[in-house]
Amino acid sequence: MIEVRLFATFREKRDKVYFLEQKDFKNAGEIIDYFRIPREEVAILLINGVYSPIDTSVKDGDILALFPPVGGG
Amino acid sequence: MPYFPQWEVADLRYERQLLIPQIGQEGQEKLEKAKVTVIGAGGLGSPVLTYLVSAGVGKIQIVDCDVVSESNLNRQFLHHTGDVGRPKVLSAQEKLVSLNPDVALSTVNKRLNQENIEECIIGSDVVVDCVDNIETRVMVASACIQLNIPLVEGGVLGFYGYVIDIGRDYPCLSCLGYDKAKQKTPVPVLGVTAGVIGCMQANECIKLLLGIGEPLYGRMLNYDGLSGTWEEVKVEKAKNCAVHKNAETGKNGEFYWNGGK
Ligand SMILES: [Zn+2]
Repeated sequence: MIEVRLFATFREKRDKVYFLEQKDFKNAGEIIDYFRIPREEVAILLINGVYSPIDTSVKDGDILALFPPVGGG
Repeated sequence: MPYFPQWEVADLRYERQLLIPQIGQEGQEKLEKAKVTVIGAGGLGSPVLTYLVSAGVGKIQIVDCDVVSESNLNRQFLHHTGDVGRPKVLSAQEKLVSLNPDVALSTVNKRLNQENIEECIIGSDVVVDCVDNIETRVMVASACIQLNIPLVEGGVLGFYGYVIDIGRDYPCLSCLGYDKAKQKTPVPVLGVTAGVIGCMQANECIKLLLGIGEPLYGRMLNYDGLSGTWEEVKVEKAKNCAVHKNAETGKNGEFYWNGGK
């Protein structure tokens, strides 16, 4: 199982947390595609709290956190 | 009308926070000796500056190169309708002097760049980042890590926001890959959201100045104003972070922002 936590506007019309089967996804990019989030809109992709490139493979038990740019002031 | 010597008046001003055991007279003196630089006098800067000034932080430097526009007024409460067209640093300074004349306020009405940022923030005990774009955020974070100055970072989008403390030994925005992000402008912001996040930044700043509590180092605290929730995400320093590597090898004056490419 992979836990995916969506933040800010990514959770609009979606849920905040998803649990996905690891075997359905080769890498983090495929998980982003699954949510129909354009890849270039992901400002921060963390796997277990660590910055990860979009082609990083995912394994059972991973926790992903996805953020859009929250850069306003 | 009884005569109050100046120190008694000062004590009355801070009476309620002097009663807090984590602050007290000793903490108040620490605040009065502190120097903080607040970068950006807008939606985040308004609450940050207001609460740092009202708490009696001794020296506060306000950095902003913009003038007030009408579209600022939904969230930048230091600026009023009559201030439209005036430099933000002057408009902010005027309100803040009136709030607490004991604070030494200085202003920098300049656009920060790689040449002037270190000179601008050097000597600060804490820097609070209240800017509205990722390019400046990354530049400020790089300079703070270079100079080993604790940085309180916050950002907002619509009903959402985050706060995190950054330091040489703790993850920075580049550690999170945030330096590669592209931001659409103008950024949607509800004034309340900037208020919530700015208040959290002011709180972190006061904690760092006093050395109390648990600073948000390595903990990105995320606010969701629609669901009414806060969620903490633990984040780690990246092994190959250019900003951290740069600071550790002692290279000066080089910042890593790739222009969102
Ligand atoms: Zn870093």
